[in-house]
Amino acid sequence: MRIFLTIILSLMGVFAFSQNKQLLYGFDDIPQSLMQNPGGKVLHKKHYGIPFLSQIHFNGGSSGVSVYDIFNNGNDNINDRITKKIFEMKNTDFFTATQQLELINFGWRAKNEIYFSGGIYQEFDFITYFPKDLAILAWEGNRDYLDYEFNLGEISTTGDFMTVYHFGLNKKLNKKLTIGARLKLYSSMFSYRSVNNSGTFVTRLGNENSENIYEHTVQNANVTVQTSGYASLRELDGVGQVTSEILGRAFFGGNIGIGADVGFNYEINEAWNLSASVLDFGAIFHKKDVENYRAHGTYTLNGINLIFPPLNEGESTFPYYSDLEDEVEREIPIDTLHNNYTQFRPVKFNAGLSFGFGKFNATGACDCLNVGGEKLHKQNVGLQFYSIFRPKGPQMAGTLFYHRRFTEYLSAKATYTVDSYSFSNVGLGVSADIGKVNFYIAADNLIKYSNLAKAKSVSLQLGFNIIIDEE
Amino acid sequence: MNKVLSIPIFVVCACLFFTACIKDTDFDQAEDIALTPVIELNLIYFNLPANRFFDTINSTQILTVRDTTEIRFLDDSTLQESLKRAEFYFKFTNSIPRNFQVDFQFLSEVNDTTYITGTSVSQGTLSSPEITEFIENIEGEDILRLTQANKVVVSVTIPSSNENLEGTLNLQSKTTYFLEY
Repeated sequence: MRIFLTIILSLMGVFAFSQNKQLLYGFDDIPQSLMQNPGGKVLHKKHYGIPFLSQIHFNGGSSGVSVYDIFNNGNDNINDRITKKIFEMKNTDFFTATQQLELINFGWRAKNEIYFSGGIYQEFDFITYFPKDLAILAWEGNRDYLDYEFNLGEISTTGDFMTVYHFGLNKKLNKKLTIGARLKLYSSMFSYRSVNNSGTFVTRLGNENSENIYEHTVQNANVTVQTSGYASLRELDGVGQVTSEILGRAFFGGNIGIGADVGFNYEINEAWNLSASVLDFGAIFHKKDVENYRAHGTYTLNGINLIFPPLNEGESTFPYYSDLEDEVEREIPIDTLHNNYTQFRPVKFNAGLSFGFGKFNATGACDCLNVGGEKLHKQNVGLQFYSIFRPKGPQMAGTLFYHRRFTEYLSAKATYTVDSYSFSNVGLGVSADIGKVNFYIAADNLIKYSNLAKAKSVSLQLGFNIIIDEE
Repeated sequence: MNKVLSIPIFVVCACLFFTACIKDTDFDQAEDIALTPVIELNLIYFNLPANRFFDTINSTQILTVRDTTEIRFLDDSTLQESLKRAEFYFKFTNSIPRNFQVDFQFLSEVNDTTYITGTSVSQGTLSSPEITEFIENIEGEDILRLTQANKVVVSVTIPSSNENLEGTLNLQSKTTYFLEY
């Protein structure tokens, strides 16, 4: 139990992740910005991601607590700190983790001026809301909470591990408007979700009609867990077998889904630019290896009612305990179901408005980055908006950014983001071209980098590409 | 700026990312994390009518009635490690005009007695039942013995009875488990 708790606490803030890539969005110098907006501006002619290295992305966050909150080496007791946090946090606080690894990413501009791009990436996405009532029950017990209805509906968590195959088109329709779309095929290797739960648990002091001292009542429980890709793993033996089985599903061996990204970029005038995108609008259809569990019902536990039956020598009394267990199982059955289910992907919405100034002309002689007569600005400032749909509603973030092209080879973007985690998230991304090789790295919560323990979220993306510019 | 300059700038920025650190924290404190829930849980209950202490067919007194139930969670290894204290609370409501001796004998899986407790219950009347409360606090070494048990035998002994004896002996009970994980 203690080990389990330690792991959970250690995950907070270190691996807790969300999916906002505010630094990559609109960072046209990096090919992967196309993954954030398929209708974004494309400045190059071709790109190849270096396999397995083109994008490594980690993002973790916990909205209510940081590692420092719990493990700071103050004089007070760690258990007091945990108690304080449990009561401070709300049931809408959450822990999230996202990890993505691009296996392949490529793109090229065809003769018809459409920029085609495609690739494969692997994604892990996890979120759990803080089940406050259950945490209190586990931490303190029910003695001081008579008549308090513990809410079982606070259980809300999803986890997915999948491979995504994608292919997109991007075209500049006219001088002002660029649009794009990307089709995605999901191959889910493992997935679970437990959402839309309900029910309460309460311990009440009995009245004169009660059978026993207390009435422990589970009221209108309806708790479900849906899994796919889990049932077949149970029979396997050891980590090795499980790993090879999961990886075997990466190539369309799992449950298949389909989705789309769409986006546009509109240059209002020489200075102002507007863009928006919708990502992962789609669903995965879980049909294979599905196992769902559902516990439902209402039951009041009174205890064990002794009957004192007259017994002859050698006779045994009623199996009270087994009968009680059977009764609980009858009144709150846990059904195992194998019905297919459809899981909608967490849809992401991005929008950006930027103002550019200072004409960029790297060498003075040639506008090497200036594809098709586009006006590139030396500096851009603007606003971005991000939202992702999660089980308990959208999570949103607003970003102020400043983008600067230093040279033909180096550009950087700084962001200030306000989101569910904090009001002090400053991020920095750098894209550098060394020869044909493009390297980029972007991380947020830089203020907290001097002590990551204080950060409630961390996001990091880095990768290598080969970029071939327009001749 | 030129390419030569851009590389050092880039290196500086990259260093910034990799020099992140975690300080002023002490993860050894994880050792000290202790969940200390206090759980209130019903135990057994019964209603024994007075006529259970007299065999009308053979016209003989039945001075002791006995029943047994398993309490399987008690010798669970997790509970054995985490139970620090248990407080049993028994509440008898007696409308039978007799005193009773009630004994609780905890037995292990192989029927060795691991823990015994008991109390006397005051007599009452139909019109004014008598309430007897009994609290048994178990901690320390006794916890080890209690958590070896997985069943309890309840014996109810009456000093004397007859066929006209009326009333009911009622028991309600609960346990407060003081746990530490």
